[in-house]
Amino acid sequence: MLKDITLGQYVPGESFIHKLDARVKIVLTFVYIIILFIIDQTINYALFTIFTAMLVFLSRVPIGFILKGLKPMLFILSFTAVINLFMTQGETIWSYHIVGSWSLEITKEGIVIAVLMLLRLLYLVIGTSLLTLTTSPLMLTDGIEKLLEPFKKIGVPSHEIAMMMTIAIRFIPTLAEETDKIMKAQMARGADFESGNIVRRAKAMIPLLVPLFVSAFRRADDLAVAMESRCYRGGDNRTRMKQMKATYRDAVAGAVVTLFCLVLIVNEIIL
Amino acid sequence: MKKITIKQMIFCGLFAALTAVGAFIKIPIPVLPFTLQFLFTMMAGLLLGGEMGACSVFIYMFLGLAGLPIFTEGGGIGYIIKPTFGYIIGFCIASYVTGKIANKVKNPTYKRILGANFIGLIIVYSLGMIYYYIICNFVINAPIGVWPLFLYCFILAIPGDILLCLISALIYKRLIPVINLFR
Repeated sequence: MLKDITLGQYVPGESFIHKLDARVKIVLTFVYIIILFIIDQTINYALFTIFTAMLVFLSRVPIGFILKGLKPMLFILSFTAVINLFMTQGETIWSYHIVGSWSLEITKEGIVIAVLMLLRLLYLVIGTSLLTLTTSPLMLTDGIEKLLEPFKKIGVPSHEIAMMMTIAIRFIPTLAEETDKIMKAQMARGADFESGNIVRRAKAMIPLLVPLFVSAFRRADDLAVAMESRCYRGGDNRTRMKQMKATYRDAVAGAVVTLFCLVLIVNEIIL
Repeated sequence: MKKITIKQMIFCGLFAALTAVGAFIKIPIPVLPFTLQFLFTMMAGLLLGGEMGACSVFIYMFLGLAGLPIFTEGGGIGYIIKPTFGYIIGFCIASYVTGKIANKVKNPTYKRILGANFIGLIIVYSLGMIYYYIICNFVINAPIGVWPLFLYCFILAIPGDILLCLISALIYKRLIPVINLFR
């Protein structure tokens, strides 16, 4: 389970989308989100469906993983659909009398809006999770660092942000293990984390949290000493083992997405 | 922005990791299970100071959005459309304010720490509710009234977090001598 955390949702693979540059993928994902909220016409939704299906196919990510990513969103998706279905005013096609002047109504407009809303949210989740499904967290951090680099001039510490993320990713499993260890050690000394009312339970957290913080400080101190003694000094002039390189693939992906956006926008204007 | 030292950078990263771990420690209580995220983000502000505390929460938020399952219900960019995402943004700002207020004096009293924590709490809840309202009304088209919003997002959730404020003040008081050793 701990290993799952650091990998995130990443599914290793060799597909076209996996091999795209992380920077390109991040930018294109933003374009995808923006265009999704611009479109309004039914035909554009149809085109978008095809486009998303094509992306999923190209990524070669097993469909099960994508469905797994949808699971936490299930509630909000169904909630949205149901609310829109019953709350939209318009031409009634089905109604159910409850009591007094209260009745449930489904309207033609309600069905249309519910379906479009559902599709919009669905594609938002699928499209964006494709980014995290095909890019490992470390590659994403690298990509973010590179994308933030132009903002260095106005004082955004891009390298430091990326380094902090890497440190956090590296230490999540370690600290989770540490928490577990301290919990067991305190239980062996008679600490009780599982009974009593809420105040008592919350109080029981103190003997867990104080050692946890102290040990985190100690770790941070050790790491700082180790980095300083190796003369670490941040991003300037630092070389990397794996250089990020945009290839013909990235150009193709960029061109396809641009073309697709143009088609959608033209549709939107004409219709 | 001043130059970030190596130590500050490491502390930030570690606190982001701690917050992530805090989201896993669940205390089961009736109605809503509550996690220690809020406590850790508050502690980040208290222990690292305003800017660095907010920075560590920001890193945590970023990692969660990048797909690590470290939020209460998983992670991923899709989390943005969840109405509860506002609380996480609130954590970030609350961490800054709490840290700023509490670290104004060298050795803060309980009163100051608690005050700072409660101001943080108010920020988290107001941002959380505003975000909830905006998402419900404008993004997913499901209008929610002000009163149900208040009941669901405030009254049911706040007792646990008030408790966390008290506890974090207790823990912080104990940790002051320790953090001075490592600074």
